[in-house]
Amino acid sequence: MTTTVYVPRDAAALSVGADAVAAAITREAALAGRAVRVVRNGSRGMLWLETLVEVVTEAGRIGYGPVTAEAVPSLIANGMLDGGDHELRVGVVEELPWFRAQNRLCFARVGVTDPLSPEDYRAHGGLTGLRRALEIGPAATVAEVTDSGLRGRGGAGFPAGIKWKTVADTPGELKFVCCNADEGDSGTFADRMLIEGDPFCLIEGMTIAAFAVGATEGYIYIRSEYPEAVRTFRRAIDIAYAQGWLGDDVLGSGLRFDLMVRVGAGAYICGEETSMLESLEGKRGVVRAKPPIPAITGLFGKPTVVNNVLTLASVPAILADGGAAYQALGVQRSRGTQVFQLAGNIARGGVFETAFGISLRDLVEEHGGGTLSGRPVRAVQVGGPLGAYLPASGLDLAMDYEAFAEAGAMLGHGGIVVFDDTVDMASMARFAFSFCAEESCGKCTPCRVGAVRGVEVIDRIVGGEDVDDNLALLGDLCELMTDGSLCAMGGLTPNPVRSALQHFADDFTPRRVTP
Amino acid sequence: MSATTPPTVRLANEIARQFHHQPPDTAAAAIANHIERFWDPRMRTDLQHHATTAPESLDPVALAAAKLVGS
Amino acid sequence: MTILKEPDFGTPASTSSTSVTVEVDGIPVTVPEGTSVMRAAATSGIDIPKLCATDSLEPFGSCRLCLVEIDGRRGTPASCTTPVADGMKVRTQTPRLEKLRQGVMELYISDHPLDCLTCSANGDCELQDMSGAVGLRQVRYGYEGENHLSLEKDTSNPYFDFEPSKCISCSRCVRACGETQGTFALTIEGRGFESKVSPGGLSFMDSECVSCGACVQACPTATLQEKSVVQLGMPSRTVLTTCAYCGVGCSFKAELRGDELVRMVPYKDGGANEGHSCVKGRFAFGYATHPDRVLSPMIREKITDPWREVSWEEAISYTASRMREIQAGHGVGSIGGITSSRCTNEEVYVVQKLVRAAFGNNNVDTCARVCHSPTGYGLKQTFGESAGTQDFRSVAAADVIVVIGANPTDGHPVFASRMKRRLREGAKLVVIDPRRIDLVRSPHVEATHHLQLQPGTNVAVVNAFAHVVVTEGLVDEAFVASRCEGYEEWAAFIAQPENSPEVVESITGVPAAEIRAAARLYATAGNAAIYYGLGVTEHSQGSTMVMGMANLAMATGNVGRDGVGVNPLRGQNNVQGSCDMGSFPHELPGYRHVSDDAVRTVFEGVWGRSILPTPGLRIPNMFDSAIAGTFRGLFVQGEDIAQSDPNTAHVTAALTAMDLVVVQDLFLNETSKFAHVFLPGTSFLEKDGTFTNAERRINRVRPVMAPKTGKHEWRIVCELAAALGYDMPYTHPREIMDEIAALTPTFAGVSFAALDRLGSIQWPCNENAPTGTPTMHVDSFVRGKGKFVPTSFVPTSERTTRKFPLILTTGRILSQYNVGAQTRRTANIAWHPEDVLEIHPHDADVRGISDGDSVTLASRVGATSLRAVLSDRMPVGVVYTTFHHPVTGANVVTTENSDWATNCPEYKVTAVQVALRAQPVDAADATEATDELAPARERAVID
Repeated sequence: MTTTVYVPRDAAALSVGADAVAAAITREAALAGRAVRVVRNGSRGMLWLETLVEVVTEAGRIGYGPVTAEAVPSLIANGMLDGGDHELRVGVVEELPWFRAQNRLCFARVGVTDPLSPEDYRAHGGLTGLRRALEIGPAATVAEVTDSGLRGRGGAGFPAGIKWKTVADTPGELKFVCCNADEGDSGTFADRMLIEGDPFCLIEGMTIAAFAVGATEGYIYIRSEYPEAVRTFRRAIDIAYAQGWLGDDVLGSGLRFDLMVRVGAGAYICGEETSMLESLEGKRGVVRAKPPIPAITGLFGKPTVVNNVLTLASVPAILADGGAAYQALGVQRSRGTQVFQLAGNIARGGVFETAFGISLRDLVEEHGGGTLSGRPVRAVQVGGPLGAYLPASGLDLAMDYEAFAEAGAMLGHGGIVVFDDTVDMASMARFAFSFCAEESCGKCTPCRVGAVRGVEVIDRIVGGEDVDDNLALLGDLCELMTDGSLCAMGGLTPNPVRSALQHFADDFTPRRVTP
Repeated sequence: MSATTPPTVRLANEIARQFHHQPPDTAAAAIANHIERFWDPRMRTDLQHHATTAPESLDPVALAAAKLVGS
Repeated sequence: MTILKEPDFGTPASTSSTSVTVEVDGIPVTVPEGTSVMRAAATSGIDIPKLCATDSLEPFGSCRLCLVEIDGRRGTPASCTTPVADGMKVRTQTPRLEKLRQGVMELYISDHPLDCLTCSANGDCELQDMSGAVGLRQVRYGYEGENHLSLEKDTSNPYFDFEPSKCISCSRCVRACGETQGTFALTIEGRGFESKVSPGGLSFMDSECVSCGACVQACPTATLQEKSVVQLGMPSRTVLTTCAYCGVGCSFKAELRGDELVRMVPYKDGGANEGHSCVKGRFAFGYATHPDRVLSPMIREKITDPWREVSWEEAISYTASRMREIQAGHGVGSIGGITSSRCTNEEVYVVQKLVRAAFGNNNVDTCARVCHSPTGYGLKQTFGESAGTQDFRSVAAADVIVVIGANPTDGHPVFASRMKRRLREGAKLVVIDPRRIDLVRSPHVEATHHLQLQPGTNVAVVNAFAHVVVTEGLVDEAFVASRCEGYEEWAAFIAQPENSPEVVESITGVPAAEIRAAARLYATAGNAAIYYGLGVTEHSQGSTMVMGMANLAMATGNVGRDGVGVNPLRGQNNVQGSCDMGSFPHELPGYRHVSDDAVRTVFEGVWGRSILPTPGLRIPNMFDSAIAGTFRGLFVQGEDIAQSDPNTAHVTAALTAMDLVVVQDLFLNETSKFAHVFLPGTSFLEKDGTFTNAERRINRVRPVMAPKTGKHEWRIVCELAAALGYDMPYTHPREIMDEIAALTPTFAGVSFAALDRLGSIQWPCNENAPTGTPTMHVDSFVRGKGKFVPTSFVPTSERTTRKFPLILTTGRILSQYNVGAQTRRTANIAWHPEDVLEIHPHDADVRGISDGDSVTLASRVGATSLRAVLSDRMPVGVVYTTFHHPVTGANVVTTENSDWATNCPEYKVTAVQVALRAQPVDAADATEATDELAPARERAVID
């Protein structure tokens, strides 16, 4: 009898030796005279357990982790292939409390299936959403997405259905669907894990979007730092064409949709949708002024849906189960689930998909297990490098777009970065400016010049030079960047600076610094 | 065409070649009209002189035209 | 006038016909839908501070100075990128906005040199202006922070400097290079604070930059600055005038400091150029004050004598008495004149009047003979008017653009920029040319079809186009039925199998399928426009080809509205005007035949002399008659016939045979070698009059300086007439135009006063069209019905032989103009130091020629030598050269073949042989040869 063993192919697992683990299992099993089938799945998202090996048993998929190649002989000797006991055995994966606490819609298949197996995809509910869309027609598909309350997961939280309707209502023979996979925010990796762990889901989501708005071409813009994601997605596209899921006659419905991969070149700003469109057009990635909005004048001047990976990957489940089911989850105007990403100084980092409304404290302390260092949490930055720093006292905030906005923070792409009490918040504020100076597209003055001056002003404050005047100047600069910048990059850079000043004013007292 | 061909003969022949697709009578009339509208009288006289003295140097329709041209 | 500052509305005008009303600072203003808030404000007299916005470029939204508050909207949107909406209430001045704007300026100035008082842009710097406008009082960041002040200056371009330390990264230069010029030579390099303007990482001179000046024009600071401004200082007064290079006829602001011309700046209200320019008009005006200019009249008895400087009186009376002597001995018809397309309408008009009224004959011709005379003939026959059908602006409405035998990016660069803009917007392009011109593939432009035909087979190709139209049912039946005549006969002719793409393929070398596809594209475009140049006219079937294109346009209904037409790209600044002015030996001003008694009577009444009813001699006829001894005296106004006309040996023999050759020109030239009288002419900077460009647009030429010779050219001619006993008592060129208007129905409404009022006028301008006629033949053709003329393809007699197996064709380059008399006397020489022979690698290989080798180029009439450059732009069997340098002597090899109808020379097809020169010429020898020949061979005119 052949035993099925799962070893993730996700880049996070590969980075800690998953390939060697897989090879070792094949080798050791052969030596032990055991027939095994090693399946390379996506990651379950429990990154502290990678490489997480799962063995299929009658009791379910038993997990072992973190497994190294060196540990494999002992694991096999101890009966891992039969679910045997070992110090690395974590039990039935899906019954782990960390896993059970989640509500995986978007990530339902990630870690479960072989990402490039069309059979697995179909067996786990794949294509149900697309088939339903094709059945109910474009207008009803847009309505379903609108009714679901799905908002853009890239950060801005714009209602996806409204965007789609705008594109659908804009006349044009040629329209595009562009997926933004330029996931550059600090502490975020959900896009990558989805692309590597369930690429067909994204293809299906993009196809549904194309059908809904009348687009015939799609592009996915993947950052060059994600070579595994690029490789996986390209293969997935080839397979999808071969399966008739893409091309001139999608699922025999007569729908035409072609999908292409474009790889970024390392610019953070290309995660901004208009810069991404410029880059897709082969130009330098600089921000476009809006209006016109991409939904009307987008890629090559044509009506274009631009959505984040998680937005599009949420769509198949919405169509399969109905907008109402999705809408039933979440709180206030934040509906459905969000794939939170726990990172930074945290004991149990990884992806955690659950309905909106969970508190930040629950995520960081209960599920994340507090800091990795074991020291007290001092600050948490949510929403990437342009997100506000929240003090430990502010962790009871509900994960909800509006609640965060009210607190002067933002949910962004759902990345949560934890810092312990050793963090120097003045240097974090300075970092916000220097990050902006490094990554600004250079188009607008407040961002291009302001970010550099911001670094210099903080240095002067910390250096004790005309502190009050420079604090006033810093305030004016933050105001200018917020109100005057062309895009969110410059406009949000003051967020971490202001929140650091507000909550950690003591860190800005004069002292000698080594920049 | 040799360099020693008289210019008016060369020019008339050049024009004539453009009218070869037309019936000879029509062509000759058209060429004569063209010459009357665009040529200095001394050139017309010169052409007529060559038409008389060296008719073989002229294209047949040019020759016919030369005879139609008023000097 | 003092310096002319044109208003800048910040963003381009909207063309919408729907209007919306908004309130800006309480002032209601009604503007077209799509107008930016910034432009709406400017329209109501409120200037919102701005740096990255300028109304020649699309809004960009980068400087963030123009932020405003809008009732009911969040935040502070940029007024340049925000379109107005009906009922919108905008506030442009609030404490919040003031603070934000000061904050932006504070950032700018924290990275800018503090040298305003010594800066070349002092007084003409938008950064300086904006600092004042927003009330910047301090820069709290100090000046010690990270900055760009030590970036190095790039002085490589001969006309302007690039000083990146003064750059504010507004991208106006980059955008101007792309949007306005269409070259895309500039980019922003780097990211964030490191973003900087860069000509592709190279120096300006080594880059793709074509030196059009659009970036300099767009720069709001001294970052891109004319060297002349750096050297001479800011100009203080403006004279509006017209460029004297190509037939585009750009309007310029000549900006002076005292009496010194500092710079030429393209004029935004110029109808032809709308604020754009090229390297020639913008920068290459230095020849006007070049030391080579002759400033005093000179005479000599024999051409072997040395020149003798004389007074104007002596020169004129000498000329008059010699002319009369010749007429006394050899008849009234033994003298004549040639007018120049470089001179003003008024200067040309008086020369033809001199010939007709004072000489008493019709022996007047013009250099258009050798360029666009077939255009005049062909369009007159078919449409009824010897001029192009459209204005330049029309190309913006074309859906398909067919370029035939023209190289707009080199020859007509400012129009080419308009064309490229339209092509970038999605219009389709068909290029019909033996050579792969730049337009075939350049940044963001690519021809859908390049029909690379054999030189000399234009008519076969255009007939095949028409064949497809007629036989595939693509004719615009309604247009043809209501607007045209002669269709049936023509259609029967064109439908013959001999005109099918498949049959002509072996003649033209163009695959039949390509012609069919291109013809279908043209016929079904919606709006399809033909633009053509000397590659159409300078053939033995030039006139036939012009008629062939007219037939095609009529058959598809592509005449008489915006975006269509048949459009000659005319070579010289006033070639249209010189033809309009009656420079042809068979036509009085306004293209009316001398045999028309009624017309002649009108002229005779005003001129007080009788006019001969028979045509006079054309230029080539003059040469033939000179050799025959019946033509012995010639007045040549600004044309170097010995250099520019074909078969040089024949021309010089004719000139040598004459008793009197009078040359009126700026420089001694090749023709003046054979002259007895030299009358020094004036440059366009001294002239007072009008030029008419390729779109029939009459533009004023206003004097920037007094005549350096002490005498206006029109006055020389009038004095010569007086010395011949015929008075032309004008006191000002405006009076000459008044006479033209009185005698010429198409010019009836034209006067200097009307031109001053309207800026420019496209003729016809009369009672029916008091402000002129941008598009011709709108409701009916000038001749009533458009006339289809069968255009049988008669191949040229110029054939390749075993001895001369290659075909030579000629063209232009951007930086040089014509035979280079002007441009070679400017720094433009930096771009094109010599003419080269482009030869296909295959043809070079079989002759043992390598890139850069010196080769001889020989035809049956002559030989010259030049350097070979291997290039696959031409098909195998075709070689190509330019003729901007006299040492090249391209016309030594061109033949006497000419267009059958107009005698326009067949410059574009010469059978030649190319061979490696036994003795390679090194660079020093070449220079020496140039120096030796240059002063003698000048101001020649081919187009």
